[in-house]
Amino acid sequence: MRRVAAALLSLAAFLVAWKLITLLGGYPEFILPAPEVVAERAVRAIASGVLWEHAGVTLLEIVLGFALGAGAAVLTGIALGKSVLVERVLSPYIVAAQAVPILALAPLLDIWFGGGLLARVVICALIVFFPIAIATMVGIRSADPLLDEMLRSLGAGPAQRTRLLEIPSALPVIFGGLRVGVTLAVIGAVVAEWAGASTGLGVLINIANQGLFDTPLMFVALAALAVIGLAFYGLVVAVERRLVSR
Amino acid sequence: MDGTTGGAGLDARLDGVGVHFGEPDAGLQAIDGLTLDIPAGSFTVIIGPNGCGKSTLLRLLAGLLAPSTGSVTVGGREPRAGDGRVALAFQQPRLVPWRTTLANVALPLELDGVPPMERHDRAVVALERVGLAGAAGLRPRELSGGMAQRAALARALITDPPVLLLDEPFSALDALTRETFDAELQRLWMEQPRTVVLVTHSVVEAVALADRVVVMTPRPGRVARVVEVDLDRPRPPELLGHPRAAELAAEVRAGLASGRALELRPWAEGEGAA
Repeated sequence: MRRVAAALLSLAAFLVAWKLITLLGGYPEFILPAPEVVAERAVRAIASGVLWEHAGVTLLEIVLGFALGAGAAVLTGIALGKSVLVERVLSPYIVAAQAVPILALAPLLDIWFGGGLLARVVICALIVFFPIAIATMVGIRSADPLLDEMLRSLGAGPAQRTRLLEIPSALPVIFGGLRVGVTLAVIGAVVAEWAGASTGLGVLINIANQGLFDTPLMFVALAALAVIGLAFYGLVVAVERRLVSR
Repeated sequence: MDGTTGGAGLDARLDGVGVHFGEPDAGLQAIDGLTLDIPAGSFTVIIGPNGCGKSTLLRLLAGLLAPSTGSVTVGGREPRAGDGRVALAFQQPRLVPWRTTLANVALPLELDGVPPMERHDRAVVALERVGLAGAAGLRPRELSGGMAQRAALARALITDPPVLLLDEPFSALDALTRETFDAELQRLWMEQPRTVVLVTHSVVEAVALADRVVVMTPRPGRVARVVEVDLDRPRPPELLGHPRAAELAAEVRAGLASGRALELRPWAEGEGAA
């Protein structure tokens, strides 16, 4: 109850500050629309179905991109954490791929993967991959060597030790990576849409901003992205609370 | 397990064992030329100064470590971790923090693929045997040091191993608790005899528990002396005031001192001495 009240209070304060800035600054609507203008535009966008059309596509990209990226990252992170050799061989490529701006790569990836949903999912997955893979590697290595020896003395093999010790030890750290990754998934979806798509919230932002000069609609799309990001983040935290009991 | 003995444990042998860590020319010679016979069903206590390779010796017997030279056998075979013949309890309880006490104790059965119901029932019995029936649902962080060590002992005993290895399991406990533990360990062993090898720093503990005390030299570890303890069992704490007990303790201390004398000699001369 208190958590909800705090969240509502903070939202109210944010809206009041926003309104005050527009009042005091007297900005034209295409620079900074007032909150009620954006709200009214949102109602229209929802009523006409425009928002759902774009948001649905972006949601799908985020869910698939995050699932693919996080799944691959956890598996890679386990391999990196368990084997120094694997880390030596793979990590230069992983770090280099992370250092290359995804914005520059996205148009190329879009062509490679056929320009459809698959291409956007791959771009999203790539951006999600790095923090989760690194977090998993660090987490796997954080397993207590004394417990590892105890398990070995009981005859536990590498797979059993990973399941019974390393993954549970790594979970808090992995979830740290997942929290970062899930917000990056939202960015990844938008970047992927900018590289070539006809629907999605990223596309809607471009249309509103550069095509229609409809700044309130752009704010609606941004707000929708923020809400999606918050919702997925909350979901990750909720799963974390269930799985990590410490 | 197999027909090597009549059910009261397995014998263990170390023959000319050397353990070297690190590079062949550098590194550390932890154990050198160690030969030791541990009879089936005996209670053997290993005592020696820090770093003399006592824990290494237990790791050899547990199959966690292979000797660099010489041979180690348990019941006539090379030990292999998880073969069900040997259980090792460590100096620290080493309980898995996110598991309940019961689930920790049942862990060896889980690794052996025992079905959940049987696992549960056997873990309950194992906890009762060490006086921890009430702690089944608690997490390790909710246990006192003594309770955690009892749970670790229950975990080691749950598979009913022919050989039980104990690496200073009570060293972190206060003296009074430790005395109680020693008495209980003796009771458990008398109820259900098996081969026990206990590592300790305490001369009193050694005399209180052992059939034979094996005194080791400083690194590189080898056997300095074996003291047969011919006191009747059970041995209550008062018995340790008995003249014979004092005599035996003095003998163990003398063994430790002679080991130290050996250490003072140049390495070249010490080579080959036993």
